[in-house]
Amino acid sequence: MRVGIPKGLLYCKYHPFFETFFSSLGAEIINSENTNKRILDLGVGTCVDEACLPVKIYHGHVASIKDSCDLIVIPRIMQVCQNEYICPKFCGLPEMIIHSIPGMPQVTVLPLYMHDKQSLYKWCLSYGSLITRNKNKIKNAFELALKAQNGFSTGISEVRKITVMLAGHPYIINDPFINMDIVNKLKAKGIGIITEEFAPEQVSESQVKKLLKKPFWTFHRNLFGASGALCRQKKIHGIIYLSSFACGIDSIVIDLIRFNLENFPMLVIKLDEHTGEAGVDTRLEAFLDMLERRMPDENNHPSYGECLYSG
Amino acid sequence: MKITIPHMGNVYIAAKILFDGLGIDYVIPPLNNKEALSLGSKYSPDEICLPFKLMIGNYISGIKNGADTILLVGSCGPCRFGEYSELQCKILQHLKMNVDFIVLDAVKSIGLDELFRRIKRIGNESSRNSMEKIKAVIRAYNAICILDDIESRAHYMAGYEKSKGECKRLLNSCKEEVYACKDPDKALKILRNYRKKIDCIAVDSSKNPLKIAIIGEIYTVIEPFTNLFIEDVLMDMGVSTKRNLTPSWWLKDMLLKIIKLNSRELLKASDEYLPLYIGGHARECVGEAVLASKNGFDGAIQLFPMGCMPEIVSKAILPTISRDKKLPVLSLIVDEMTGEAGYKTRIEAFIDLLERRREHVFAGN
Repeated sequence: MRVGIPKGLLYCKYHPFFETFFSSLGAEIINSENTNKRILDLGVGTCVDEACLPVKIYHGHVASIKDSCDLIVIPRIMQVCQNEYICPKFCGLPEMIIHSIPGMPQVTVLPLYMHDKQSLYKWCLSYGSLITRNKNKIKNAFELALKAQNGFSTGISEVRKITVMLAGHPYIINDPFINMDIVNKLKAKGIGIITEEFAPEQVSESQVKKLLKKPFWTFHRNLFGASGALCRQKKIHGIIYLSSFACGIDSIVIDLIRFNLENFPMLVIKLDEHTGEAGVDTRLEAFLDMLERRMPDENNHPSYGECLYSG
Repeated sequence: MKITIPHMGNVYIAAKILFDGLGIDYVIPPLNNKEALSLGSKYSPDEICLPFKLMIGNYISGIKNGADTILLVGSCGPCRFGEYSELQCKILQHLKMNVDFIVLDAVKSIGLDELFRRIKRIGNESSRNSMEKIKAVIRAYNAICILDDIESRAHYMAGYEKSKGECKRLLNSCKEEVYACKDPDKALKILRNYRKKIDCIAVDSSKNPLKIAIIGEIYTVIEPFTNLFIEDVLMDMGVSTKRNLTPSWWLKDMLLKIIKLNSRELLKASDEYLPLYIGGHARECVGEAVLASKNGFDGAIQLFPMGCMPEIVSKAILPTISRDKKLPVLSLIVDEMTGEAGYKTRIEAFIDLLERRREHVFAGN
């Protein structure tokens, strides 16, 4: 059996689990290519117009492999932490795909609660039985997959003279095509990068507690907490927030972070189907120049709207 | 304490009846208009959905008229609506407008005790005894139910009326008269009177008007300003419309959700296409489209604000329903850029299409 695993959305976080599970059952794994222009065009052509860039690209990944597999894994990830959601589009992802792309093979539609081992096993049992009837084999594959997932981590932590926090959803940070290879661009300029995974957890928690209401999106809690913690601990000099156009979650989170950090330098880059890099490069350079000039006399700057020498 | 509320369709009339009955001071902001929209878009994040922006506009005009407390309902995700209160509170603080927020949130996210504590905060302001308070709440609930009933009848009868425009006239004068009335008991009487009147409208039952279901995101279908008064436009064209989502439906849905008995029929209808709850009212939207074709409607119009996450999912599903059930669906997306001409042209074209479809497709030509 050929199992297709598209390299989009939360693939970057959870691919060891799905790949290990299906390959140890003896299925042939078919990955889509790394995101490229062809995938983007395929996605834009099939996906509903109003969706955000990562979802469109996911459609492209699926469309590019649909003819060469018998089963495509479209994880309907409902929650990754207890009582916290990701985004409504993740909850309806299989439906979006089935109704947008014609001629789909079988897809996985059962919901996944990544924090709950039992629901994961139920999912595995249901789709593993398409390949083998041997329950023990499925159980072993499941244990192996869990182990592979637990031993896997993402994130960047490189502290330099100037360090920025690279904030954004994992599927944007980890896909060099979507984010125009911003990680390497920063590295080439000698800028250090920290991502949300490396923020001290307790400080993050205390930042999140400042909110009136407990956040119900995992991305929201992570990004708000991590940016607050890294800024308060003076580990970073600025934040570069990568966001896709019309992202519902970011429209809230970015402003909450702004209100929380007040005048801390933050660059928000909105990404969409356009692939011209010049504009992004210019903005990036301007932002880094600003951080650099701010460095030597960081403590001597007047706060916003005030004048130091009024003589 | 002087309470203000954001607008959503006819909720302000029920709120007025409630606060009058409780004897609490309140400000009803002017009905949604261009000013509220431009104020709201000025102070809100760019990419937030339209309801958020209009609400900010409502708050600001409410505060200018002396309000110091904002009453709002909430939810616990995964749609953005659940985070409204958090960000709106921050924005108003930033504008140096110090107001209290009373958010009647979902029980699931704050717990029953906290919810009662918040309701008590409003109740304590009232000098009436508890019997009268309960009466006031029931009266307001009855009012919104009757008002929704009158409205939906008017929208449906508009296709059958003998003298054109009568339904619309009656509906508008009903709203005006109730809103002008200070005595809550009298207001309820007026509403009951109007319900009788709307039943007495002369109808021509030989007519066979187009029937269209209005579906989509709850705020944009209920609040006429956001959808550029689409129901009025359709009434003028002599089209019968029906929409399921109303404030009273929402109230019933929230209460029945606790025992999981909410909108059984709708959810059952949506099972085939969207079996899981994904936030907002996407499932209801899909279910309504299925039911509309089952009930012999000629078409459906889906409305949602630009960027609405749950409705994007349902928009992806609707073409399949349209193909399977032979139900034409028009999706209209609204935001703060209100170009009326293009919008109206699309509605007119859709109506034309439905008319010709009747003549040709069903006649076998």
